[in-house]
Amino acid sequence: MVRKSVLLGALAAALVLTAPGGAPAHAETAAETTLTGRFKLIDQDGRAVTEASYAGHLRLMTFGYTFCPDICPTTLAVMAAAMQALGPDAARVIPIFVTVDPKRDTPQRLKAYVAAFDSRFVGLSGAPDAVDQAAHNFHARYHVNPPEAGDPDLYTVDHSAGIYIMDGDGRFLAKLPHQLDADDIAQRVRAALR
Amino acid sequence: MKRRALLLASALLLMPHRARAKMVTGLIVAAAPVPVPAIDINDGDGNPAGLGQLRGRPVLLNLWASWCLPCVAELPALDRLMAADHRITVVALSLDNTGIPAAKAAYARMGIAHLGVRVDAKLRAGEALAASMLPITLLIDAEGREVARFVGAADWDSPAVRPLLDALEAGHPITTAMAPPQAKPHGAQPP
Repeated sequence: MVRKSVLLGALAAALVLTAPGGAPAHAETAAETTLTGRFKLIDQDGRAVTEASYAGHLRLMTFGYTFCPDICPTTLAVMAAAMQALGPDAARVIPIFVTVDPKRDTPQRLKAYVAAFDSRFVGLSGAPDAVDQAAHNFHARYHVNPPEAGDPDLYTVDHSAGIYIMDGDGRFLAKLPHQLDADDIAQRVRAALR
Repeated sequence: MKRRALLLASALLLMPHRARAKMVTGLIVAAAPVPVPAIDINDGDGNPAGLGQLRGRPVLLNLWASWCLPCVAELPALDRLMAADHRITVVALSLDNTGIPAAKAAYARMGIAHLGVRVDAKLRAGEALAASMLPITLLIDAEGREVARFVGAADWDSPAVRPLLDALEAGHPITTAMAPPQAKPHGAQPP
């Protein structure tokens, strides 16, 4: 019961974040554009990268930000557990975290952050318009809320939840709901690798 | 029950944006105590330190990680509670992939002296305990059953938490009126 409530709460939160309205950063709908999965961003080591930089590797991708002021989603921890569950197959997969908060999530910050989950994680940031374009190309929505308590660096960012599976050419294969467990994700990845 | 949950979820969707996000946090009381699933927990030396060893005592099982700033900020209050209240055992379980070193570094940084280092050996505690966000603190009775959980960070050593801890220690029913105050968001800096 308790567990169900929390899951439902998380589900409700996910629906909230993916639902239209609430001043989304982009006005387009999924029907109007295709999910191209293109990006031009900066990785955690400061290198300029695009979707072609990971050619030949299946990617698990998610959008988010690292400065959670009151609660932190465990999506990256689940992705890290999925990488473990994949065993040797994980060598063909790259987990990628894209920040929607490039102002605070610098490459240096992302490097320390993603390393806490799995050494194979890539953390992508970039100029605000590049991040905006990447989110747009994944149909990911986000909204930066006004700062709290008068501190310009203390703010939340609402964003779409979920994990994208992109193929070795960077093309969209599937979007998984974020409440999937690691074994479910590993199973979906294995199916995509076949 | 399922219907009520669905109604709740629908109600959440109709509420204003910010208020909905906040609904996820707070004290959630179990309709009936739920046995806590077995989790592989190791201590700071890598030895097994499962919750089974604590049967007979009420436990606060706090799930945290070094990448979760509100979690790290909550640790000192839990540490002070561990020192002050000898009837409750506080288990601060790190879900970090980097395990023991990450937990020890955070303890050193925050001056944690009374909590033992406890790590999620198989990285499955988050799933087993349905923790889709952190921090979460499970209130576990002396029989190893979850009676409630608090989602978010709380000032665990504040007097306002006393009624909740007293009820847990005495094995009395817990009510949502006993919800501890949420710790205020802070400008904590990353490690």
